[in-house]
Amino acid sequence: MADFEENEQQMDCALDLMRRLPPQNIEENLVTLLEILPELTEDLLSAVDQPLKVRKDAVEGKEYLVCDYNRDGDSYRSPWSNQYDPPLADGSVPSEGLRKLEIAANEAFNTYKELYYEGGVSSVYLWDMDDSFAGVILIKKVNDGTVRAKGSWDSIHVVEVLEKGRTAAYKLTSTVMLYTVASGAKGDRQSEINLSGSLTRQDERDLPIEDANSHVVNIGRMVEDMESKMRNSLQEVYFGKTHDIVNGLRSAADLEEAKTRERLQRDLFGQLKSRKD
Amino acid sequence: MQPDDKFAKAAGLLLHSPPGEVDDVFNDIRGIVNDDAALQEHIEPILAESNTQQFYIAELKNSQSKVLLTPYNQVKTNEFIDPNTRTQFSFDHLHRTVIEEWEVQSDEAQQDEELRKALQQQVDGYVSKHYPSGCATVFLHEAAVVTCIVSNRFSPSNFWNGSWRSVWSFDASSGQLNGSVKVKVHYFEDGNVQLDTQTDFSADISKQDGETEEKVAERVAKVIKEYEAQFQQSIADGYRQLSERTFKGLRRMLPLTRSKVDWEKLANYKIGGELANAES
Repeated sequence: MADFEENEQQMDCALDLMRRLPPQNIEENLVTLLEILPELTEDLLSAVDQPLKVRKDAVEGKEYLVCDYNRDGDSYRSPWSNQYDPPLADGSVPSEGLRKLEIAANEAFNTYKELYYEGGVSSVYLWDMDDSFAGVILIKKVNDGTVRAKGSWDSIHVVEVLEKGRTAAYKLTSTVMLYTVASGAKGDRQSEINLSGSLTRQDERDLPIEDANSHVVNIGRMVEDMESKMRNSLQEVYFGKTHDIVNGLRSAADLEEAKTRERLQRDLFGQLKSRKD
Repeated sequence: MQPDDKFAKAAGLLLHSPPGEVDDVFNDIRGIVNDDAALQEHIEPILAESNTQQFYIAELKNSQSKVLLTPYNQVKTNEFIDPNTRTQFSFDHLHRTVIEEWEVQSDEAQQDEELRKALQQQVDGYVSKHYPSGCATVFLHEAAVVTCIVSNRFSPSNFWNGSWRSVWSFDASSGQLNGSVKVKVHYFEDGNVQLDTQTDFSADISKQDGETEEKVAERVAKVIKEYEAQFQQSIADGYRQLSERTFKGLRRMLPLTRSKVDWEKLANYKIGGELANAES
């Protein structure tokens, strides 16, 4: 019991720490934490979102994304061939019906990804739960077209589905990790700007279901709406909020001049007012 | 891993703390290690490094003089000098308080002290004009006159903290001025977003014949001001570039068709690629 409580406290602190340490070094920091807390390896790997990694399905020749959700031991399952790499004799796979839905979802989200991202990689993984199922939709896009400005986008949408007769309850937890770096040198100056991190949002909806494909439609719409909202939040937080904070640290305008101007304006206003009285 | 390595590793994470969150990170490390006595052994030098790295602003009790804790005025792990009041003081790195103060025993007349004083005055004027919560100390360190500036704004209740730190090292004999500026911002409402930016400058400010120390200090401060203003501008340019090019190139606001995805159609199509081709 005491061990359990100790582990819980360590886990809470580890997660709080990961929310504070620079997202630029997320993988490094996680490795350090795993070295300090090897007994919590499984918990940490499933609770801490990391940038997605790309693998190639040797059977289908297509790229897919790996994360903790399609991992079994040291192997990862491809959504295209349903095979584990390195091969696993008894790797867990979705039930037959759910695999059909997974195939349809992978195809639909592959098209969605082309329409919005014009490139990148997507993967959908589903798994059976007691009376229902859950899944994750992953999308990764890397933009390294120019040397001076690089960026990458990773979406991780975890969805829990509970069928209730002709409707289903969907619970969506979405994380978007955005990394952007601009660097430049100009004569005797060199600079680098690295703006990176992640935002997480949740949504819950009850939606009608007619057949198995209804799940693809419902989850698709929820993910599309969520990504649109999050794109706006990212724009606001990354490029608005953090820049405002920088400009609050240093004022480009002379603060004393601004104060003098304010005082003059107040005096002038006072004079005008007393003339009226 | 040996227990000792473990504690040292955990303590080392403190150095990656965002501005204004050292106490929170410290508490997390305590909770993870769960062994205060063992952590104690490793944390002291790390806290000292963290305070000097973040240019903690110490306030002396006797004179109310504010002085930055930096590697340039550190005498021992927990002892520093305030060059402006010629005070040496001991510092408690954990509670971040000044413990004891005493007068610096001056055994030799320091070269460049006149220049240092003049530069301190110039930089104080500059900082009060451009940093709403800024503080600067000018030190003499290894044949150079080193200016350190820090401006922190912490607003954890609004989920953000930020800091601006600059170091300018001026070698009066060669006229070489080297500077580096670091700006860090942490925004953490429903996420963890950090700006990390750094820049390096160098300039040549050779002393002209018959020039007074005041005049040299004025010119150094002017270059510092110009470069820092340029850097602030280049951050704004970087933001524009990242937002307009990089961000927009990652994910579109809407597909080319300018309408949202028809999921009914997608869910019933067997091969997604065909649909993408048909729609474009």
